[in-house]
Amino acid sequence: MEQTTILQMHEVNKTFDKVKALDNVEFELKSNEILGLLGGNGAGKTTLMNVLYGLYKMDSGSIILNGKPITIPSPKDAIAHGIGMVHQHFLQINNYTVLDNIILGTSVSRPWTADRKKEKAAIEELCKRFGLEIDLDAYIETLPLGVRQKVEILKALYRGVNILILDEPTTNLIPQEVDALFETLKIMVKEGLSIVFITHKLREVLHICDRISVLREGKNVVSLTRKDASDEMLVRAMVGEGMDLQKSVIFSESSKKIITTKRETVLQLENVSLVNSDKINVLSDISFEIGAGEILGIAGVAGNGQRDLAEVVMGIQTATSGTIKFMNEDITQSSTKENISRGFVYIPEDRLADGFLHKASVAYNLILGYHNLPPYSNKGIVNWKNVNAASREMIKKFTIKTTGPDDAGGNLSGGNIQRVMIARAFSQSSKLMVAHNPTRGLDIPSMDFVYKNIFEHAETGMATLLLSEDLDELLLISNRIAVMYRGKIVGILPREKFDKYAIGRMMSGYDQESK
Amino acid sequence: MTQIKKSLPYIIAVVGAFIAAGIFIAAIQYNPFEAYKTLITTSFRTPNGFIQTLMKWVPLTLTALAFTVPLSSGKYNIGAEGQFLAGAIGATTVGILLADLPPALLIPLVIIAGIITGALWGLISAWLLYQFNINEILSTVLLNFISFQLVDYVATGPWRDPSAGAPTTIAIGQNGYLPMLIKNPPLSIGVILMILVAIGIYFYTNKTTSGYELVATGANPRAAKVHGIDTRKMFLLSMVIGAAAAGLAGAMEVSGVQHRLIEGIHSNFATLGLIIGLISRGKNQAVPFVAFFIAVLEVGASAMQRTMMIPSQVVLIVEALIVIFILLSDLIKRRQK
Amino acid sequence: MTGIETFLVEFLKLTFLSMVPFVLAGQGTMLGGRTGVFNVAQEGIMLTGASVGFLVGYTSGSVFVGSIAAMLVGGLFGLILAYFTTTLKMDQFVVGLALFFVGTGLSTLLPKLVLGITLTPPLIPTLKNIPVPLLSEIPVLGPILFNQNILVYISVLLSILLWYLLFKTNLGLRLRSVGENPKAADSLGISVNRYRYLTTIIGGMLIGLAGAYLPMVYTGTFTELMTKGRGWIVIALTFFGGWSPLIILLGSIFFAGIEVLSYRMQVGGSVIPFQFLNMLPYIGTIIIMIFTFGKSRVPAFLGQNYDRERRTL
Repeated sequence: MEQTTILQMHEVNKTFDKVKALDNVEFELKSNEILGLLGGNGAGKTTLMNVLYGLYKMDSGSIILNGKPITIPSPKDAIAHGIGMVHQHFLQINNYTVLDNIILGTSVSRPWTADRKKEKAAIEELCKRFGLEIDLDAYIETLPLGVRQKVEILKALYRGVNILILDEPTTNLIPQEVDALFETLKIMVKEGLSIVFITHKLREVLHICDRISVLREGKNVVSLTRKDASDEMLVRAMVGEGMDLQKSVIFSESSKKIITTKRETVLQLENVSLVNSDKINVLSDISFEIGAGEILGIAGVAGNGQRDLAEVVMGIQTATSGTIKFMNEDITQSSTKENISRGFVYIPEDRLADGFLHKASVAYNLILGYHNLPPYSNKGIVNWKNVNAASREMIKKFTIKTTGPDDAGGNLSGGNIQRVMIARAFSQSSKLMVAHNPTRGLDIPSMDFVYKNIFEHAETGMATLLLSEDLDELLLISNRIAVMYRGKIVGILPREKFDKYAIGRMMSGYDQESK
Repeated sequence: MTQIKKSLPYIIAVVGAFIAAGIFIAAIQYNPFEAYKTLITTSFRTPNGFIQTLMKWVPLTLTALAFTVPLSSGKYNIGAEGQFLAGAIGATTVGILLADLPPALLIPLVIIAGIITGALWGLISAWLLYQFNINEILSTVLLNFISFQLVDYVATGPWRDPSAGAPTTIAIGQNGYLPMLIKNPPLSIGVILMILVAIGIYFYTNKTTSGYELVATGANPRAAKVHGIDTRKMFLLSMVIGAAAAGLAGAMEVSGVQHRLIEGIHSNFATLGLIIGLISRGKNQAVPFVAFFIAVLEVGASAMQRTMMIPSQVVLIVEALIVIFILLSDLIKRRQK
Repeated sequence: MTGIETFLVEFLKLTFLSMVPFVLAGQGTMLGGRTGVFNVAQEGIMLTGASVGFLVGYTSGSVFVGSIAAMLVGGLFGLILAYFTTTLKMDQFVVGLALFFVGTGLSTLLPKLVLGITLTPPLIPTLKNIPVPLLSEIPVLGPILFNQNILVYISVLLSILLWYLLFKTNLGLRLRSVGENPKAADSLGISVNRYRYLTTIIGGMLIGLAGAYLPMVYTGTFTELMTKGRGWIVIALTFFGGWSPLIILLGSIFFAGIEVLSYRMQVGGSVIPFQFLNMLPYIGTIIIMIFTFGKSRVPAFLGQNYDRERRTL
């Protein structure tokens, strides 16, 4: 097939709060191709595509579509130019039906009545053409993430896009669903679409993309076709020259310090169940144990009870039934405060909501949870001298970019907020770490830094409950992986039995339902 | 230097508000320069003016703290009016019922009664929030309206002073009057009590772990809860502390100024307290200073209405403009980053 | 008709008469809330609406012109609220509270400026009842429902119209999406700001008119703080009504019923001191909140500003 350039972006610059997110970036998309936009977190991939979709205004630069310069001040204009985008966090109205979500913002045949028969027929036609099976009358909030992604793709197709941007589309999919998505993408290319596939996963770009473009720290690194690309080359392009790959956890087998000897049990859950305020069984009959120095991974598609599990262990929610034991002591009814003084640390999943005090200073943030303990306070009086000294130390050690302990939390960028979370968690000599997606939003060297820290603490006997939606991360550093589906543990695999597709099948509940 | 640089936007905001209000005053056919001269200087020209300013300073600081302490935990207490009145009712009740006690007993009892009834009035909203998650703005406001009726009931009941025009109770026992610092013009020791309370609240919020938890709760309640802070307790505590401050203000207005419960005793203290709290941007330590400034304006406003026939509500517009301009100055700082 | 029946007819007639400020201000609040703008300045806007409606009605000699003026000034408050929250992205509560002060101050200041400081304020003619032909002849129901002033009819029709627009049309689908997930709406080319401005301004107009109803129907004149907390009760009403026009209409009848009850019991003579009867609407509201708060669904982005370029992790 003859491929012509349909879209170009020239010398794009974008700055957020003094941080240069895009630095003279060049971008090119050809007709009928899947272009992989590869890079670690913070590389500027999503920012670049948000500029193209009209969500962000670029500081300078130009966009040329089919040879003509255009401007895209808002998503409306992007849609008008035939550009669609599926965001990593789906932009959907939870209490609307699938149909209403798809037609939202388009003009309909009978706008002043509730009759949408014509639109429904058109969407059903699209579903057939692209092999996407969806109940159009279902409410979004009742659907699993895999289906919700199909809704996002349909939204773009219904608007008749020529260019479709997919931002980390495999994040919430099990391996089987990833394969199905790739099939759909191939059909779309055949139907004449061009696709931009944003990802940080090497294997995916090598598998599906025709061309690959790598970004790092907001700059172009390299663009090449798949047949010219190799593993090592892309890794080096993503992480840069500064990182020692031989000593990294991510790229070198020998750096993984997984403890294999059986040690004393630190945390034990026996038949733990949780019924939430809407009377829904969010956790049922969960049993497992974690030994000292062990990392237990929890795999599962987002929203299958991982967050509730983390919160029950931390004492943020109290189990409805069952027992939780820490060092053989029953802590089922313990408060979070008590658990923290026992040596629990928590890296919550949603750090903006659950982990960070925007309106307080950096020092306030760095001692959150440990403010009752010496040396930060004594007999109810805060020792600000100690707090400030410890804060300065953490800022230095974890390279947090800030003016000092008194700086307002709101001044920190996303990556630095994550560093605050990490600094707070690793500043303690802890016995149990509950970490939920601890590396989300970090670039590759920082991810590696987190893994190294986990291993370091594991060597001193810390048990880790690692809940992650990134299956690769779990496979990389866990001793064992437990799979969660609809609030249940459907199986626990030891490291020697790790198998991506087997875990994927368990994550989808396939094993569960066939029983 | 940095301190000056930091406060510059606020100074500009205040000056800007005065200019804007001046244009308004000119537009309604009055001389803004004359008006402002009266407004600013009345407090400092005569001892009487200064004492009057101090007398307003006391309830204004306390009702403002009633707003800012709960705000530290992220809750909006709009009920200082009701809590003030509850405190006044409690103080009056004790002052009348136990009128024969010696001063060493009666004075503390009257004050404590006011603090407790004020705190209890606030506790209703705090409990509704704690137990049923009911928005505190609504419950505190609704309780204000209930308190007006309660005052009317007490002031027209058996204790009514028939010689007074407006609904008023008889005086509390003389032994319950707050001691005077200055006899003429009269100024009670309430001003000292108020300063102690303000210092205590500063120490609590900035130096104690409970105060740390209060601020953390206000900064992000969800994150605070996840990290072991009992946020619902902090909401409750901060509401009750704030309400107690308002109750104290009510008790001191009875025991130190009026010596009886009068309908309308709350004046516009609570509304001004909210404005002071907003101008202080919720910072407890800034409240006494801002409150003094507003007390100066208020004393000037009455003088302005008396001598120049300018409606005193004009000052409310000046104050509202200061609030808005300070919010705008925050915004400009945010944009500059 | 027996005594009880006469009492009931009178009670219900007064209830429908008194529901109007609740309906108008409730729907106004609901409209803004549906796109995410949570107005808490109702009490101030209603007071200004009452003040301006009365003053303009008096000087122009027309209640109609007075109502229009009250709506315009309410719309202006809505515009200011929208500008500060939507364009400047300032905290909605703080701006709302500031507007509440401004409205309260303005409402007492304006009569002093226009009329001077007088002891006997002038009166305007109150709204006349317009019996609906035929329907008003129906026994019992006729006098209750179909012999009322024009705004009673308008408030019912408005509620039904709003329900249809919000839930049955494409416009409503777009409008509600802004309050449920502004980022999603924005990504589909729906202008978040335009909908927020529009609903907040129209909402402000309705709240202003709700205020003007008080002097136009109840008193014939403006008295200080005459809303007596109705603006705040309206906020409780919108939660009670689940931000849904028809339930807000029902809720308004209920809240108005409590108000009329407290008034009727005083007229009828009661052993309970009148001050406690006066408390009824407020205590009633608190009790209702206990049963409805946290149970009714609110627009997901109620009270939250939207900034397209704000980055999340």
